Amino acid sequence: MLRTPSQTIGPFFHEALRWAGGERVRFAEPGEAITLTGRLLDGAGETLADSLIETWQLSPSGKIPAAGSGETHPHGLGRVETDKNGVYRIETLMPGSSGSGPPFIDVMVFARGLLKPLRTRVYLADEARVRADPLLKPLAGSPRIGTLIAKRDGSVFHWDIRLQGVGETVFFAT
Amino acid sequence: MTDLSRPISVDPPYDVPDYKSTHLRAPKEKLLELPPSLYDTPGPYVPAGFIRDKDTDLTIHGKGAPLGERMVVTGRILDADGKPVRRSLVEIWQANASGRYHHPVDTHDAPLDPNFHGMGRMLTDDEGRYRFITVKPGAYPWLNHPFAWRPAHIHFSLLGNAPIQRLVTQMYFPGDPLLALDPVYMSVPDEEARKRMICALDLQAGIEGDALGYRYDIVLAGAKATPLGI
Repeated sequence: MLRTPSQTIGPFFHEALRWAGGERVRFAEPGEAITLTGRLLDGAGETLADSLIETWQLSPSGKIPAAGSGETHPHGLGRVETDKNGVYRIETLMPGSSGSGPPFIDVMVFARGLLKPLRTRVYLADEARVRADPLLKPLAGSPRIGTLIAKRDGSVFHWDIRLQGVGETVFFAT
Repeated sequence: MTDLSRPISVDPPYDVPDYKSTHLRAPKEKLLELPPSLYDTPGPYVPAGFIRDKDTDLTIHGKGAPLGERMVVTGRILDADGKPVRRSLVEIWQANASGRYHHPVDTHDAPLDPNFHGMGRMLTDDEGRYRFITVKPGAYPWLNHPFAWRPAHIHFSLLGNAPIQRLVTQMYFPGDPLLALDPVYMSVPDEEARKRMICALDLQAGIEGDALGYRYDIVLAGAKATPLGI
């Protein structure tokens, strides 16, 4: 069957898609508390104050997170709006890895002017480890790989997302 | 022929000249092609406790009834193989009958309705069915170009049962003359795909003597992953 096409989220989604605690990702197991934060920027270098970021990741032990049926919120899923300065911030736990790969968080960006979401991922590991990920082979030797790596400052990982222009983040076509 | 194995093919491009807000937000670099199987994994799982009873009726959140034409919108969420997408999250939001959103950035000078906030959510049942009671949204002007009006629409957000199924779309109404003039609707290049976004009048799906019925089925990408928790 022909799939239903994607349309923009528009500027009016906030109240409908706001989840209490959406910025604090839940898991059934303990782990290393981390913060992922950064700015969302357009092709003119302006910040986007009207966007939604969703994150999805493995649990600290590397499992696909699943809330129990009696719980009130999904696990492993983060959903945050960018604020008036175009900043997003999520509190989560360091994801585990399936196998030896570097830890990462899947990210989707939704916004007015994006007729379909942009998919990417942020790695929470140093560049040598990230470059070894076979998935990123097409980026071998490219400085663009750096757009997928967060900068660590204690428990805080800083990662800006640039939709267009100099330093454009690598987005995925899947 | 449409390649159904690449779910992106029915979607609009990122850069659409007639839709101004895309110009500085569309990536210019080539997107990295990854195998679709990467996102064909189970999850996220949304527990039933996430939904409150009143979340499926948008007309009972004020002191009285909202203004406008009462309607039911109902349908099924299916995957590309026609299988129901079970117990997955459906979220909707919309303007009121006058074409005004209950939202601080909406500056359209049409009246707010204190009895209508225009948002709902529910989980599909085991057949992939959902159903909301609401009022028909009004069209409204926007700043994209002179005399620009968005056709009446309801926003839908679907989580699906695998990340590859995640979809945000808009549902439009049949016979709306604004559709052919709308850069957002027209951003979908394929006509058959565009028609997927138009609901069908279905009186029997409504409430006798009370609300008009509209049927709107949504087709998500196919997923082989076994859903979590169900």
